[in-house]
Amino acid sequence: MSETNADASEEVLSRALAGEVAAFGLLVRQHQRAVFSLALRMLSDRSQAEDLAQEVFLQLHKSLASISSTAHLGFWLRKVTANRAIDRLRREPKIEAVPLEEADAMASETLDPDPLLSRQLRALVGQLAPAPRAVLLLRYQEDMDPTQIARALSLSINTVKSHLKRSLAQLRKQMEQSAGFST
Amino acid sequence: MNDELEKSLRFALRPVDPGEKFTQSVLARVAEEQPAAAARQRDHGRSYFGLPARPTFRWASATLGIVLTAGLFAAHQWRIHRTQQGLEARRQLFQALQVTGENLDIAYRMVNNQEPAGNFSRTR
Repeated sequence: MSETNADASEEVLSRALAGEVAAFGLLVRQHQRAVFSLALRMLSDRSQAEDLAQEVFLQLHKSLASISSTAHLGFWLRKVTANRAIDRLRREPKIEAVPLEEADAMASETLDPDPLLSRQLRALVGQLAPAPRAVLLLRYQEDMDPTQIARALSLSINTVKSHLKRSLAQLRKQMEQSAGFST
Repeated sequence: MNDELEKSLRFALRPVDPGEKFTQSVLARVAEEQPAAAARQRDHGRSYFGLPARPTFRWASATLGIVLTAGLFAAHQWRIHRTQQGLEARRQLFQALQVTGENLDIAYRMVNNQEPAGNFSRTR
């Protein structure tokens, strides 16, 4: 993020903190992509993901006074989303994964060089247990480092590294078995 | 090998935008929540017996209430206990008086029945 953009974001945050609804709307707009995507890949259900993402932003609106900077805001949103999603999956383990056609419809606007591979990977990620899935998503979707992930999910750094290692090994094995994924 | 997989994962997991409607839904829910939150805030700030209803005061008044109730209950129990003790003591006193009266009666009769011959004061 450039310095000007960072300043603008801090200004939006200050205005939202002052109670300006339009500024809060801008904050939502800036972060909804990350929050919704994380919820979607955790729950594998679009309506559940929208509901969870909305709840996260409602919680943000109530806790806005505790947010000190845009960096803190980004971390807070990812942390709350991941933890709420894990809680929901533990409470309702029967949440069904979305059909592949719907997953296709959810693909981002950028051109995918290998849509089949991406689809398979998303499906396999959706089969991981909630905690390793959250770790993997925070690492590869949100680009958080293991230390941040450990803080966000209240796990030890070794647990995070172990989840990453095991999940990657599992994904690679399943990809090799199913599609002959090679390097 | 992991690099290739990690690259593919990053691409497969690229974020998707829920759309403009999502922002509007969030803002609508925030607007819906605000009157409810304001009402909660009003209730939260309402005072009881002239004391502000902050969490600390609420806890303090709840604790005070519990202590008072427990104190009143203990006092009531103590009173019942003392009344029972008093009744028991009265019963024992009556019993003792009764026994003493009976004994005195027996002794009196024994003394009267013996009527020793040398008891001149009793002869007419």
